[in-house]
Amino acid sequence: MTGALIKNGVTIDDTFAEAFGMAGTGLIITAETAKWANQCAVTMTGFGTSVIGCGAECGIDRILTPDETPDGRPGVRVLMFGFSADALIPQVANRVGQCVLTSPGSACYAGVEGPVKIALGSSLRKFADGFQTARRAGGHRYWRIPVMDGEFVCEDATGCVSDAVGGGNLLLLGRDPAGCLEMAERAVAAIAAVPNVITPFPGGIVRSGSKVGSRYQGMFASANDAFAPTLKGATKSELGPETRSVLEIVIDGLTAQSVADAMRAGLAAIIADGGHHGVTRVSAGNYGGKLGPHHYHLKDLV
Amino acid sequence: MSHLFLKVRSGMTDRIDVSALTAALVVAHTADDLARAALTTGPHALAVGDVFDVSGTRGDGTVIETGSARLDGLGEGLAVGILMIEGNVGIRAGRGMRGGRLEIKGAVGDHLATGMKGGVIHVTGSAGDGVGALSAGFRFGMTGGTVVIDGDVGARAGDRMRRGLILVRGKTGPAAGSRMVGGTVIAEGELGADPGPLMRRGTLIAPHAESLLATFSDCGVHDLVILKVMWRAWAQSLGPLAPKPIPALVRRFAGDLATIGKGEVLLTAA
Repeated sequence: MTGALIKNGVTIDDTFAEAFGMAGTGLIITAETAKWANQCAVTMTGFGTSVIGCGAECGIDRILTPDETPDGRPGVRVLMFGFSADALIPQVANRVGQCVLTSPGSACYAGVEGPVKIALGSSLRKFADGFQTARRAGGHRYWRIPVMDGEFVCEDATGCVSDAVGGGNLLLLGRDPAGCLEMAERAVAAIAAVPNVITPFPGGIVRSGSKVGSRYQGMFASANDAFAPTLKGATKSELGPETRSVLEIVIDGLTAQSVADAMRAGLAAIIADGGHHGVTRVSAGNYGGKLGPHHYHLKDLV
Repeated sequence: MSHLFLKVRSGMTDRIDVSALTAALVVAHTADDLARAALTTGPHALAVGDVFDVSGTRGDGTVIETGSARLDGLGEGLAVGILMIEGNVGIRAGRGMRGGRLEIKGAVGDHLATGMKGGVIHVTGSAGDGVGALSAGFRFGMTGGTVVIDGDVGARAGDRMRRGLILVRGKTGPAAGSRMVGGTVIAEGELGADPGPLMRRGTLIAPHAESLLATFSDCGVHDLVILKVMWRAWAQSLGPLAPKPIPALVRRFAGDLATIGKGEVLLTAA
């Protein structure tokens, strides 16, 4: 490919990831133990891979120490992204109502400051059937909802930012599927250290990257045949003869800069050892630059 | 750090309502300005300089060097800045306060912080009846802010209180939190007899209470997450004035069940 860089034996395509503006919100989930805070966060962010099919893209941003949480207990910060704040309202209510309220010992607090508010406790308080009470502390309002193991404490609302970014991405192309997966995992681990971003797919990795549209009516997206190794000879493929596996890492962030930082961290991890694990190329997904306002050029991130 | 200093002139025999001092402090640019400012009106009107010797320069705060239990309404309506009083003060101190800080190194009369909306009051001595309570002209008692009293307080602290914190390092008198609709009263020593009569919402916290009304119902011993949240928020905003850490387990009494019963008395040593 014209203008491609070769770094440590890995070809970096002269292309860019095309990302979109999204609304983003965050929650802090705490529990008596780190195990239960994590369990609660994993459950509430489940089925939150793609905004197209799941309503929201969700993931764990980071683990919080007791010093970082409003109640001094172990916690987890989760982020959620959607098309708009309005679209996030039912997602937050349903996920917190079904997965956080129900989890033993849990409490839920705002995880993002923002001018737009999304209801948390104010939408769940009626579960208490009249026994709910509200308290103010430190300028925040909290609801106390009696449950069978004590009280579910839930902040009244969380913030929402409208200038979040969804769809930052990296494509790893490799000759060895196992090595390619290993390097994708390392890239996801590197991205996890970047604040304010999530990689919403399973383990942070997507194997079914899609293109826009389909030959079938009613389908918004379909298989990205240009990047499917088994179709190399049957379609207009983007893959060289040595490529046997392509894995994608999708990144959502609360700011455009956080997505750039995450892509940079992922790229660095891949370049560092990808050549030894059969990763031959790194590319990125875009739509020709006409759909998304955020363009992350790979050459600017290495 | 520069201050204006006010010293009570000797020979004061009558009670004086000095609530107008707060407004005078806002507009006075110099000690002379302040001394000329009106303090009371009527046929025997007094200026600030008739009651106090005024000195110093305007800056970060105002110090009243010799307080007196005859000075009523000190800090009334205070919105910004620091007002420090060395000595006792009379009734209605900090009434309707909206912000700033009132430091009283002495004892306070009745009706401290009635109708208070914001700010911090710290009293090193004790206070009389009706701390943070409802008084004429207000719909509720305290609706915000923090009052910390190192000594004891009299009856009905937090009457009709809606928001904010009253922290009493010693004991409260009888009927603390009467008719309360929100907020928190903490007595680190003890709650006096029969706290929370006709309380609708809000929280009273103490190691124990002298007696409890029959309309408060024992809900058992619990580890309440909300107490951790509230204590951390107080520790962060109040620093050394914050209450002592609250024990993990408290006995919760719900009441007053003569009303809607959404209030609570939390006893930490029970």
